[in-house]
Amino acid sequence: MSANLKPNTKKSFKLMIVDDSNIMRRRIERSQQFEELQLVGTAGNGLEALELFKKTDPDVVTMDLTMPQMDGIECIGRLVTLKPAVRILVISALADKATAVEAMEKGANGFLNKPFTDRQLNEAIAELLC
Amino acid sequence: MMVAATERRRQVLMAGLGTALILVMGTVLFFGFRLATQMRTSISALQTASTLQTYPETIAQQLNSLRDRLEVRAYSGQALSELQTSVKHVDTNLRQLEATGDADGPQLNRARLLWRQYQPVLDPVVSFTGQPYVDSDTAGSSLSSEGRRHYAEVKRAQLFANENARPLQTHLAALATALQHTSSDAAARLRTLLLAGVFAALVLAVAAGYFQLTRARHERAAREAQDQTRYILKSVREGFFLLDADHRIGSVWSEALSHMFSRNDFAGLSFEDLLKDLVPTATLTTAAKYVKLLWGQRAHENLMKSINPLGQLEITRDNGHGSKETRYLQFDFHRVMAAEGIKHVLCSVSDITASVLLARELQDSQDNANAQLDMMLGMMHVDPLQLTSFLDTTETSIKLVNTILREPARNDAEFRKKLAGLFRELHSIKGEASALNLSSVASRVHVMEDMVSECKKRPELSGNDFLPLVLKLDELLAHLRSVREMAARLSVLKDGAPTPPAAAGAAGGPARAAGALDELSPTLQSMAARLAQDHHKQFRLSVAGLADVPAPYATTIKDCLIQMLRNAAVHGIEAPDVRRNLAKQDAGAVNVEFRKTPGGYELVFEDDGAGITPQNLKAAAVRKRLVTEEAAQRMDTRAAMALIFAPGFSTQEGVSMDAGRGVGMDVVARSVANLGGKIGVSTHPGKFTRFRVVLPGVDADSAAVA
Repeated sequence: MSANLKPNTKKSFKLMIVDDSNIMRRRIERSQQFEELQLVGTAGNGLEALELFKKTDPDVVTMDLTMPQMDGIECIGRLVTLKPAVRILVISALADKATAVEAMEKGANGFLNKPFTDRQLNEAIAELLC
Repeated sequence: MMVAATERRRQVLMAGLGTALILVMGTVLFFGFRLATQMRTSISALQTASTLQTYPETIAQQLNSLRDRLEVRAYSGQALSELQTSVKHVDTNLRQLEATGDADGPQLNRARLLWRQYQPVLDPVVSFTGQPYVDSDTAGSSLSSEGRRHYAEVKRAQLFANENARPLQTHLAALATALQHTSSDAAARLRTLLLAGVFAALVLAVAAGYFQLTRARHERAAREAQDQTRYILKSVREGFFLLDADHRIGSVWSEALSHMFSRNDFAGLSFEDLLKDLVPTATLTTAAKYVKLLWGQRAHENLMKSINPLGQLEITRDNGHGSKETRYLQFDFHRVMAAEGIKHVLCSVSDITASVLLARELQDSQDNANAQLDMMLGMMHVDPLQLTSFLDTTETSIKLVNTILREPARNDAEFRKKLAGLFRELHSIKGEASALNLSSVASRVHVMEDMVSECKKRPELSGNDFLPLVLKLDELLAHLRSVREMAARLSVLKDGAPTPPAAAGAAGGPARAAGALDELSPTLQSMAARLAQDHHKQFRLSVAGLADVPAPYATTIKDCLIQMLRNAAVHGIEAPDVRRNLAKQDAGAVNVEFRKTPGGYELVFEDDGAGITPQNLKAAAVRKRLVTEEAAQRMDTRAAMALIFAPGFSTQEGVSMDAGRGVGMDVVARSVANLGGKIGVSTHPGKFTRFRVVLPGVDADSAAVA
């Protein structure tokens, strides 16, 4: 599936994974099948994410919403201010539509509900990249 | 958009046709005018040439006449003057023909050349002014010398004219013929031109007509399309409308919308205003943000669909009869794209109330089926004998309930007494059902209890208030029958033998009750587990000595334990976190012991929960209006503790399945007293509560009586 989802251009994108669960970070890292995504770092909360973002300047971010210290919604707002072109995929267990709308309004580009399958994750990333 | 382009093309074509028509008519008129002018000059030249034809002959004759006159010495002035006029006429006309240019041709040239040869001959004749004759008496009139010369000139001219009259005439005739040809050519050209013009005008008119016709056809098609759109919007069951960039509704919408939103005009209404009075503010804010997001290019259609917060919108509106009703609407949004980006957002609204309610109904019946299954599974764990015992006891209770309902009552006090009796019976059925995990029975009785509570609150009671209870009682009986059937089937499955029939003899009762009490311990354990789960408590129940309970006390002891266990689980044992804060173990302990004493029997029920404080009891009693505040203040500890056994007392505010009715201990105390026993309570706040039931010894007689 992922093979034909990949864009033709072999441009490389820097990827940052933000999630307070270590298991989930590893899961996202392992499950994504895009050669052009280069993982530049992972963060466990919004503040960490912000620091890492300033250092590594990623192009694509997967973002959890419920996290300690700084939640995902606020973090999205900050990241978009820093780099308007950044593409953010929200991956959250919060299933209510109001949260999704809120995240999209803050500048997210995609929304994926936990739990997700590998196929759903890759489709969501593919939509994010095109 | 396509319609507009076609319309523009048609307008351009019509303008082209108009211009072409003007050009054609202009050309025709211009050349027609020129041809007509040319024809006029040609015709006048033809007339001149035709007139000139006769003149060579005339001149020749005039010269003959002049010569004759001169010969006979007659008066020649007249003839000469006529000749002069003729010569001048020819001269002038030829020059005129030359000037028009129309007759410029070989014929005219030849005529002019010949005429020029005439001139030297004619000039001396016409310019003669002298006297031709001299009169003498001798010879009469004779030619003067001038006359002779004149005569000679006339003679020469006459000879010349006679000789050349015919050629000149021929030339002039040829000229006339040529001119005639010219004008008939011009006439033919004019005719052709006019024909061509008329033809071109006809072609253009036909083309214009054709376009007008197609235009009318297109207009008709457009009108039909408009009509069809209107019909669709009128009859479609979904609400359709377009939102513009300002989130305002366009000028077209389907009629279903009017019904859904109970309004008729939507044009220019903002999306927020549409929902304003129908949904909570938070939903409205989310909806507004979502619609705003739709106009951004960032999110894909599928993503937007998946985060649509209006997929199942609950709205509350007037139903037109003065009360409110709840409807469920489903909003779908589709972006309408144009070359320059998103032009509109198409919104479709469907009323999905029926399907939402159906889904709920399905869920309810699923829950019901699950409950039935749970009940069946629960029943499988219950000893069949115990179940039968419960069913029998319940049947007796219900008979009692029936009796209470049938009892005549005339005043409010009597009605209230009936209600209190009903409540006690129902409560004890519920307790037993809960103990056996028969939640379907327990919940039905709970509903009836609620109805009785409602009745109690009424300021005045009548027999009619009891009617709904009678109906509910029938339902409960039917349900109990099905439980009995199910029990019979289960028993067949388990033992291969049906349970004893329901209507058991009086003698069989106590024996079975005693048998059932042997099995009371596991029943209490399962009840304890369920209570712990329902109330989020943790406690261990240890039971000892129940096998020694004499048959006459079995029912009472069972009722006591069920009631006390419920009280302990609901009021006594604290929640685990509370216990932790009090440095107690998370799990509480409930100990039950039945033993024989020298004077009879003793049941001790003890929990290590919160204990009971007299203050709490008094406060609750005042709240329940069981005692006045002053009376409560005057109460000592013993009197306060006695409130536990007062009818209608409870310290728990809410009403749950398991406690909070404050009837249980009342019933328990009464049945203990009926057996000649006593019930006492000792408690230490924060540490324990202990109930002690003391019962007298049993002899053979009393057993027979029970």
